[in-house]
Amino acid sequence: MKNSAVRDWGLRLLVFAVVVGLWEIFVGYSQNFLLPRFSETASGLFHLLFRDHRFWEALYVSNQALLLGYAVSLLVGIPLGLAAGRLRWMDRILNPYVGLLLAMPVAPLIPIVIIALGLGLSSRVFIVVLFAFVFITVNTRAGVRNVEPSLIEMAKSFGASEGQIWRRIVIPGAMPAIFAGMRIGLGRSITGMVMVELLLVASGLGRLLLEFSGRMQSDLVFATVLAVIIEAIALLTAMQAIERRIAGWAPDISIG
Amino acid sequence: MIRVRGLSKEFATFENGSGGVLALSNIDFDVRDNEFITVIGPSGCGKTTLLRIIAGLIPYDQGEVTIDGRPVTGPGPERAVVFQNFALMPWADVLTNVTFGLDIRGTPKDECQAKARELIKQVGLEGFEKRLPKELSGGMQQRVGLARALAVDPQILLMDEPFGALDEQTRRLLQEQLLLLWEQERKTVVFITHSMDEAVMLGDRVTLMTPRPGRVKEIIDVPLKRPRLRELEKSSLFLEVKEYLWENLRAMQVE
Repeated sequence: MKNSAVRDWGLRLLVFAVVVGLWEIFVGYSQNFLLPRFSETASGLFHLLFRDHRFWEALYVSNQALLLGYAVSLLVGIPLGLAAGRLRWMDRILNPYVGLLLAMPVAPLIPIVIIALGLGLSSRVFIVVLFAFVFITVNTRAGVRNVEPSLIEMAKSFGASEGQIWRRIVIPGAMPAIFAGMRIGLGRSITGMVMVELLLVASGLGRLLLEFSGRMQSDLVFATVLAVIIEAIALLTAMQAIERRIAGWAPDISIG
Repeated sequence: MIRVRGLSKEFATFENGSGGVLALSNIDFDVRDNEFITVIGPSGCGKTTLLRIIAGLIPYDQGEVTIDGRPVTGPGPERAVVFQNFALMPWADVLTNVTFGLDIRGTPKDECQAKARELIKQVGLEGFEKRLPKELSGGMQQRVGLARALAVDPQILLMDEPFGALDEQTRRLLQEQLLLLWEQERKTVVFITHSMDEAVMLGDRVTLMTPRPGRVKEIIDVPLKRPRLRELEKSSLFLEVKEYLWENLRAMQVE
């Protein structure tokens, strides 16, 4: 157990070292002065984190949209998924729309949303929701659908009410899939957050990225992207820790 | 006493209700109090459907099903079911699984726990209270299922091929344990099986069903003395009843 964890981390670091090494070599040969080395990106990140107060402001602004949007996505996505999973008629109504939302590219909608909602926070939150919630809904629905029917029958045989069936069987049974949806939804939320800031509403990290690339500070562009990735990994790791505590009994299942 | 009269059940093949398959046709069937009755028949004879109707889990079309004179309209506190696939909550430990029925019925927590621990001990799972179902063998999982059903202290135990998913050795061990437990309280048991040995070994009477549509062909007395021990398997009476069942079942078997 302990040994395999050490080995896993060893291998992960090795992969990291190889990628960084290739990066350095590639940049060295490419003669492209815009392409920063890994070392330059790393020092750019250091600069952003400790020397540049604007980075933290931008991170704060972006995260407002991210957290609000993600929270709304959960509040909308999970109940819709639960309802579609258990109520036939609900599923029949929602099914075409869910398919539509899954297939629909969200980025082209950004201008329309901005025309409708303006350039403020609400637009950004709305875009994040559009990016994320349907994946949460789909996973939650699948989780409810996959709850072993014999468990529901078992609960009924003891005289469980519909409410008890929800609380004791359906929700715990769907928990692993809900978490899978939450993980995918978080990834999508982060994409949505950066996308909207880059494409139209210049604020937060997106604005910073635009500024850096306008000044050809490509090391800082890379560093900002790296910071977003680090934040995403941190959030996902925290979520996985919670997931292991609550839904550790089930094998991993995700759709998205 | 369970009383079934003229029971018929049709399953719709399509959502609009057309193309029905007659699963049970005109079933007459009685189970006396404190009787252990087994039900056997080829697959498709509707034996599980019959059990689910008695359990109140599915509605029926015609006829009447009563328990002590009261018609069955849904599950009731005097009945508990043991499922073929165990139906344990994979996220909950053994203790939580066993307390489930009590908990649903609003028993105070302390009482739930005490009762569950007692039953876990009775089925021989002491020390496994905190284990998850996936950490247990199939036989142990069904012991949990049995303990959960017995925990609510039902008057009637409905068992749907409870040992059907287990290997031969485990199945025999569990049969012996079930008989031991049953001797203590002699609850009314309806036990669905597809094993002739099991049907004869456990039952006071064996109900033989025919397939498509499911009908009760015959109810056969098994006059073997109780408590039943393994040696009875060699007795001529046991072999005779089994042989009789086989003749009948073979005649029904469609290749």
